[in-house]
Amino acid sequence: MLDPEGGLVRGTLDVLILKALSWGPRHGYAVAEWIRTVTDEQLLVEEGPLYTALHRLEKRGWLVAEWGYSDNNRKAKYYQLSRSGRQQLKAEITGWERYAGAVTKALAAVRSSPA
Amino acid sequence: MRPTIRTRFGRRSIATDVDDELAFHLDMRTRHLIDAGLDPARARAEAHRRFGDLGEVRDSCMTLDEGRIRTMNRVSFLQDFRQDLTWAARVFRRTPMVSGVVIATLALGIGANTAIFGLVNAVLLRELPVRAPDELVIAGDPTRTSSMGFDSNPRGDLFNFTTYRQLDATAVGLSGLAATGRTERLDLRIDGVNRDQAPPRGRMVSANYFQVLGVGAFLGRTFIPGDEDMVGGAPVLTISHGYWLRRFGGDSSVIGRDVLLNDAKFTIIGVTPPGFRGEIVGQEIELWVPLAMQGVLWPNTPVLDDTQAYWLLLLGRRLPGASLEQVRSALAEGVRGLLTTQAATPAQAAQVRDLTVEVSAGARGLSRVRSTYRAPLLILMAGVALLLLIICANVANILLARAVARTREMSVRLAIGAGRGRLIRQLLTESFLLSLLGAGAGLVVSRWMSRMLLVMAAGGGSELPLDTTIGLPALAFTMVLSLTAVVVFGVTPALRASRVVVATAMRASGKALTGAGSGMGQRNPLGRLLIAGQVALSLILVVGATLLVRSLQHLQQGDTGLAREQLVIVDVDATARGYTETRLTALAVSLRARLLGMPGVTGASFTENGIFTGTESISNLAVPGFEMRERTDSLSYYDQVGPAFVAATGARLRRGRDFNEQDAEGTSPVVLLNESFARHYFKDQSPIGTTIRLGDSASAEVVGVVADVKDHSLTGSARKRFYVSYLQHPLGYAGLLRLVIRTSGDPALLIQPIRAAIAAENADLPIRSVDPLARLMRQSIAEERLLANLAIVFAGTALLLAAIGLYGVMSYAVSRRSGEIGLRVALGAQRATLVAMVLRDALVLVAIGITVGVPLTLGASRIIRNQLHGVAPTDPVAFGVALAVLALGALLAALVPAIRASRVAPVVALRAE
Repeated sequence: MLDPEGGLVRGTLDVLILKALSWGPRHGYAVAEWIRTVTDEQLLVEEGPLYTALHRLEKRGWLVAEWGYSDNNRKAKYYQLSRSGRQQLKAEITGWERYAGAVTKALAAVRSSPA
Repeated sequence: MRPTIRTRFGRRSIATDVDDELAFHLDMRTRHLIDAGLDPARARAEAHRRFGDLGEVRDSCMTLDEGRIRTMNRVSFLQDFRQDLTWAARVFRRTPMVSGVVIATLALGIGANTAIFGLVNAVLLRELPVRAPDELVIAGDPTRTSSMGFDSNPRGDLFNFTTYRQLDATAVGLSGLAATGRTERLDLRIDGVNRDQAPPRGRMVSANYFQVLGVGAFLGRTFIPGDEDMVGGAPVLTISHGYWLRRFGGDSSVIGRDVLLNDAKFTIIGVTPPGFRGEIVGQEIELWVPLAMQGVLWPNTPVLDDTQAYWLLLLGRRLPGASLEQVRSALAEGVRGLLTTQAATPAQAAQVRDLTVEVSAGARGLSRVRSTYRAPLLILMAGVALLLLIICANVANILLARAVARTREMSVRLAIGAGRGRLIRQLLTESFLLSLLGAGAGLVVSRWMSRMLLVMAAGGGSELPLDTTIGLPALAFTMVLSLTAVVVFGVTPALRASRVVVATAMRASGKALTGAGSGMGQRNPLGRLLIAGQVALSLILVVGATLLVRSLQHLQQGDTGLAREQLVIVDVDATARGYTETRLTALAVSLRARLLGMPGVTGASFTENGIFTGTESISNLAVPGFEMRERTDSLSYYDQVGPAFVAATGARLRRGRDFNEQDAEGTSPVVLLNESFARHYFKDQSPIGTTIRLGDSASAEVVGVVADVKDHSLTGSARKRFYVSYLQHPLGYAGLLRLVIRTSGDPALLIQPIRAAIAAENADLPIRSVDPLARLMRQSIAEERLLANLAIVFAGTALLLAAIGLYGVMSYAVSRRSGEIGLRVALGAQRATLVAMVLRDALVLVAIGITVGVPLTLGASRIIRNQLHGVAPTDPVAFGVALAVLALGALLAALVPAIRASRVAPVVALRAE
């Protein structure tokens, strides 16, 4: 989904980050790569805002960060879902499905039939 | 997951973290692009392009992180604190005895300190509840507030009305000058009925008094300047808030109400604000009357126009810019100038020149109580501070012992990763909680104690009217005390406990904390030091208390030269019923005859000033052949006394004879001297038969010498005194009448019959008081009794605490050594030997304490020298008693652990190690 300026709607990026981390800890670059891959490079126009979002989610307590070492043995900051982050993801998915379902249903309607 | 690195905090580390994270991303992206075939420079540029605005992202990430860490720190502090409190509460619950003892002793120490400080504050520090008290200036001697002098010589400690009227306030740097003077007995009737249990305490004040002080009215109005212009015509009354509540039930319709004051009609015009009790600290004034009304209230003794009536104190408010020094010299100069114009003779004018006019800062009001209690209060303050020191040592010791007992717990917590700072914080939280509880309980104790102090200080049944409420300074004082206590007894164990070395502690369970040495002396050295200190401080208090008690005994049982257990002193207000001059003399003779006829009365006489009733007379005199060296050589105290006075009072006649009924008007005047007088003027020669000049023109022949008696104070030394015959009155008629009655049995039993006998003479005669002399004497040393009683309480508490501390340390030592003791038992040691071993150990501590304490005590006892009567500050008996009491207390405290040591079963003991 795109906002008027062509970027990502903020809430959507948040959900994607939570989803990206739902399989375990990842660093920022891995999250960016995952989003790029699964969305066919459609959604993430710039990678910088991803970090702002990561830090914002960490501040809200949905993510927990820890420094560790990457596969090529470099120091990297790993993010992980907290318990509340996991709950948030679940709520977002439910909300999204309900919203998308409603919109899909509306768009699929053939003709309006006023009472 | 991969090994983690500790998260870093702080502004610099936040920046580093963000930079590291973003650099990692850019590096990864660059490498990825190179792998895809781009050359390194282009790859790098492309990575940056894809990233977007690096600076903006960096800034917003840092801002977010700072916010997060701030919240986290706050939350974790609160969480830690709550955890600390929970732990502390658990510790208290687990050891209720220890916590109870700590809280109770702290409450005692803090309570006693706050109460004494409240008293010190009220008497020595508190400013009058008036506007800008710093600007007030007092002229006159506050200690003279209880006497009203008529004197032919000019005086600088009290002032006559004329001087006050003529003083120009602005000329001496004052914006206003008020005068206040004491009243004689007041009798207030509402609707013709007197409902006061005691006469109201009043004060005569100039009409601008309330304006100068800046005290408004709670109800109605206070006096306004101009009232005093109408001498005899300002029948208005202002009453205190307290009196209004007590006497009028807080009824606001009192304003405008007419009452009878000493049979004159007065209108109540105002009530002063609560808390205002007049300018005299330690005296609660209940009503104020304009000075102008003096002649109306006491028509028999009008003093307003009498320049020989020195009775007023002056209260001024400094003008802005006028310093106390300037006002002091200008006011003194003004008074001297006016007294010079009033002087009747050149000799008096010359006296004025040397006169000291006392001018002092008036912020804290006037007080006789202040000068009386200053030294005792400061001594009590020092004593109670010592007590708090002992209590702190004791609490530190208890907590130290507990910290030792918890070494294992601490080491386990250190081992599982608790920070050392965290452990210290935990211990401090416990101490903080303890001190908070102690301070809270202490405030309750202090309320109760300060009431007790006021009752004790007043000497009679009532309280000294002082405002000792816990104001801000006292509260601050308590808080500082309890915080100090926290630091003293909280930090020490905390620091020690934090020194636990994990491995050692886990292995030895506490030995790391107590030292590895094997002898008793090496273990718990801080605890031992504290005990020795406590013993030293206790010694000071115990010796001080013993000295004060011995001094009190000396006062109570020492020879006064009077038959103290057999005398009754009666004070009748005869002048109030018109008995003056010859009528008063006739009344005295007639009353004496009645009293002598009563069963149980073995002697009776009368006197002007009485014994222990508070008034004094001074006369000038000249002894032929005696060369005057100083001014006091021409002055002496004297009294006018009736027939058989010496015999009736039980005084001892050294030479010559007593007065008798024939020493009356028409015969040549005779005089009795006391020994001090005789020794001063006649050395070893007999003064009998010598004629001395008394006053300005009278003369009298010496007919007897009487041993010195303590007739006004038990504490002072004897003064020169002579006695003239009440019936001959060579120095003028007596103005007062006091009766002295000697009884064969308990004087208290005769109080009612004596009242009846006086009523039989004239039922309308007001009786001010009928008191056994012993009671008057006891009241006169209320201050000494207060000091001695409190010293006993403090010393007893100190002793008890030292004993508890010693008991604790010895018990601990015995339990630590149970293995060694068990081994000794197994090897056949005698019980007596073991008991002696523990006792010896305890006595070593006491001996160290005493060795340090004795020089300290010798220094400290010198400070209370002025409070000791008939006892030297180095009194060996007092030191002996104190040392014996201390040693006995220590012995008892050590005996229980000693006996426990002797009962250690060898097997149990060996297993314990």
